[in-house]
Amino acid sequence: MKLFLRVTCVLALLIAAGGVGAQVWKPPTSMKKLTNGLRVVVSEDHSAPTFGLCISYGIGFRLEPEGRTGFAHLFEHMMFEGTPVAPKGVFDRVIEGGGGFNNGDTRYDFTEYIESGPVSTLEPVLWLEADRMKTLDFSVKNLDNQRNVVEEEVRVNVMNQPYGSFEWLDLPEKAFDKYPNSHNFYGDFKDLDAARIADVQKFYEQYYAPNNAVLAIVGDVKPDEIFAMVEKYFAGVHPRPTPPHPDVSEVPQAAERRGEQTDKLARIPALAVGYRMPPRTSPDAIVGAVTGDLLLNGEASILYQALVKDKQVAVSVSGGDNWPLGNAFEYDGPTLMTSFILYPPNVTENQVVTAYDEVISALATKGPSREQLERVAAKMRSDWYDQLEIPVNRASALSHAVLIEGNFDSVYETPERVAKVTPEQVRDFAAKYLVAKNRTIINRVPALNENGAAPSGGAQ
Amino acid sequence: MKSILVAICALFLAASAHAQKEQPLPKDLPAYGPQNPLQAPDVKTVKLENGLTVWLVSRPGFPKVAFSISVDGGLAADPSDRPGLSELFAKVLGQGTTNRSAKQIAEEIQAAGGDLSILCTRDRTSVTTNVLSSKTDAALSVLADVLENASFPESEVAVAKKNASDKLRQNEAQPSFQANRALARVMFPGNPYSVVSPTQESLAKMTAGDLRGEFARRFRPDHAVLVVVGDFETAKMTAAIQAKLGGWKAPSTPAVAAAPRPSAAPAHSIYFIARPNSVQSTLVFAAFGPLRGDADYEATVVANAIYGGIFSSRLTLNIREDKGYTYSPFAIVQTLKSAGLVRTQADVRNAVTGASFNEITYEMNRLATTDPTDEELGKAKRFLLGIEAIRLQSSQALAGELAGLWGDGLTPDEIGNYGKKIAGVSTADADSAAQKYFPASRMTIVAVGEEKVLRDSLAPFGLPIQAAP
Repeated sequence: MKLFLRVTCVLALLIAAGGVGAQVWKPPTSMKKLTNGLRVVVSEDHSAPTFGLCISYGIGFRLEPEGRTGFAHLFEHMMFEGTPVAPKGVFDRVIEGGGGFNNGDTRYDFTEYIESGPVSTLEPVLWLEADRMKTLDFSVKNLDNQRNVVEEEVRVNVMNQPYGSFEWLDLPEKAFDKYPNSHNFYGDFKDLDAARIADVQKFYEQYYAPNNAVLAIVGDVKPDEIFAMVEKYFAGVHPRPTPPHPDVSEVPQAAERRGEQTDKLARIPALAVGYRMPPRTSPDAIVGAVTGDLLLNGEASILYQALVKDKQVAVSVSGGDNWPLGNAFEYDGPTLMTSFILYPPNVTENQVVTAYDEVISALATKGPSREQLERVAAKMRSDWYDQLEIPVNRASALSHAVLIEGNFDSVYETPERVAKVTPEQVRDFAAKYLVAKNRTIINRVPALNENGAAPSGGAQ
Repeated sequence: MKSILVAICALFLAASAHAQKEQPLPKDLPAYGPQNPLQAPDVKTVKLENGLTVWLVSRPGFPKVAFSISVDGGLAADPSDRPGLSELFAKVLGQGTTNRSAKQIAEEIQAAGGDLSILCTRDRTSVTTNVLSSKTDAALSVLADVLENASFPESEVAVAKKNASDKLRQNEAQPSFQANRALARVMFPGNPYSVVSPTQESLAKMTAGDLRGEFARRFRPDHAVLVVVGDFETAKMTAAIQAKLGGWKAPSTPAVAAAPRPSAAPAHSIYFIARPNSVQSTLVFAAFGPLRGDADYEATVVANAIYGGIFSSRLTLNIREDKGYTYSPFAIVQTLKSAGLVRTQADVRNAVTGASFNEITYEMNRLATTDPTDEELGKAKRFLLGIEAIRLQSSQALAGELAGLWGDGLTPDEIGNYGKKIAGVSTADADSAAQKYFPASRMTIVAVGEEKVLRDSLAPFGLPIQAAP
């Protein structure tokens, strides 16, 4: 087999005309469920002799215990610290020694573990994933080590960086009221320091069960062989009851929330705006995803054109629905449409917000043009396919969709759903959701002026 | 299938069973299957009459097409009185042609499903986009217009200059930017590779005329490559490119010259950048390394993987997985067209700045003075081959890789050759590269953080410590 040749045949890929000249791409994909509740999705892709794998567990930072902020992520690190039969280091040696890589990722409502490598490495990797679904090596020494590593991670990504990731760490904390939606997801150091091995054991028992997980495998594989292999290694893992899912919904916001922060490291100011989004199951959710891209994705986006090019009140604009913690559909509780704006020191917060509001208010009254939406739909289709091109990324998308929605339909149908959104729907969405009383704004300004001196009244 | 790699695999498994240092693998763990060798993509090469090199990789099925155009000339080619001009150049190149406004370009590319990304590295300028295959013609029209007719409108230059100035302030708040900028200055004094960004002073001087001058100098078909990867028929794509870019004229003026090779190795010293309120020290170690086409390039890449280039490397196991000093240490073999670097970087909390420095130099010297185990060598080689196949699965990544090979004067065959050369690296080869490039005494160190922390922590190592230029 040629490594870089994508084979086109009816079985391997299906391309059909759909919508107005749109290309529909749907690689063959199937799902089975083991008797212990583990759901398994397989998608064939014979374009290269490789595989991508994602196993997602239905637990993210939203449901980490009170007094243990950051614990879901700290726990994610403990999944790489070995088991009684495959001690710390074995997983990494096997996957890297086989020519691949592994990683983990904690989000609002799931934690994912990914591997990709030559398909020759898939079987030992499956064995190792099954092994760490049975039990872990609950080692105090390794917990202490990873606590240090995680605290370094927080330092390098938050404490030692200008802006400190306030647009995704501090904004939800201010925008929401219930603990699950409104705490420090990376973790306060006092909470990270307080974590004990008993916490690790309990969290594992509660959430890391086969019935709370979805395993997706994409690549140069035959589905029957993979289902049999997964059955062989995972069937013996016992199901465990998981805690009931608490009600994480929020009381509707009553008024706009504003916050002000100073930043000891930043040199120019920044603004983060977050609007509460409809629940994932609402018919408005898809309109929110499109509106997010229309406003915020790329140089053609409305906010970039207005704030950076026309009014010149911003240096950069980025953001989107559920941004940056996954795509616009990977959540199962309250989330925000976020705009993150850097602006020049000689521009005021008020000037930025005024220009921003003009854009939103035009959208809420006139709506976008049909042609504008068609362009956005093409871009979203293109970006969506990019996400599915690489086996390990497709495995992630499939795994998350099944975990959150119960099936993987959205993975292949989202571009069609996006293309059906109308200008009127976007207008009405903007009028309903993109309103001041539904938003939170944090303005973050440098604590030091350009000469490195503290301006008067500056406080941390 | 029998291949060189199967033999390596067998060797690795046999060696690991007898490894002294590593724990044995679990007894029930299934063995690896046979691994396929890294194969070069099937690249069709076309040369247009105007001298444009076209490399096409047809991969029907996945409905997208990635374009990557690369021309000679990047930051190192900027006029010496306009350091960092390339950064502004990249910002404005896509902001208008004699036929299209900036907004039209952005919207037409969006309608094709792409973004227009323009980047200047030190050696090259690249223009890339990745679009739906049904919109290939529209995308190619915009690309051709930008390549031939970019107009650098005064109003766009003014906006871009202002934003570049603010962006520079923002970049200067980041320790990684500060470290990179200082590293280039200390590694390449007096060489055009010393510049990685504009300064406020140079930005203020830049004009639309400067940008138009660079455009005329760099964007010429006889010193450019167009790589296209994705869902297309080769004959049709060739015809479309001929139609859209066949009229692009090559000037008779001299082309951009490559940067000169740096002469003397920099000092074994520590250069610090005081960054008040830092809670970590950013430590960077660098020394000259091989060029991409050098005979010991692959051996150096293997040695680097054993030392610090992969997760289960010595450095990561030591300062992260054993000591918990850092989250993401890394070591890379970095190549420019006329220079190479071996480079290590780690962000460590202030309290362990000295301890981290000590461990990093220990691992460098351990690599340089002792042979790797057979498991280490086998693991590094298999990793490098496997990861390359995974990396090049993406159409965009493959297009970018091929454009980079062209820029280094290499051919598409280099992808397959790289696989063979990695597979052929012996213990002696890796050891020899380790001795040549990795001794800590070769390293120049850049450190960003609280000045007192850096001075107090690094003084015991007895090296000269000075403020970075």
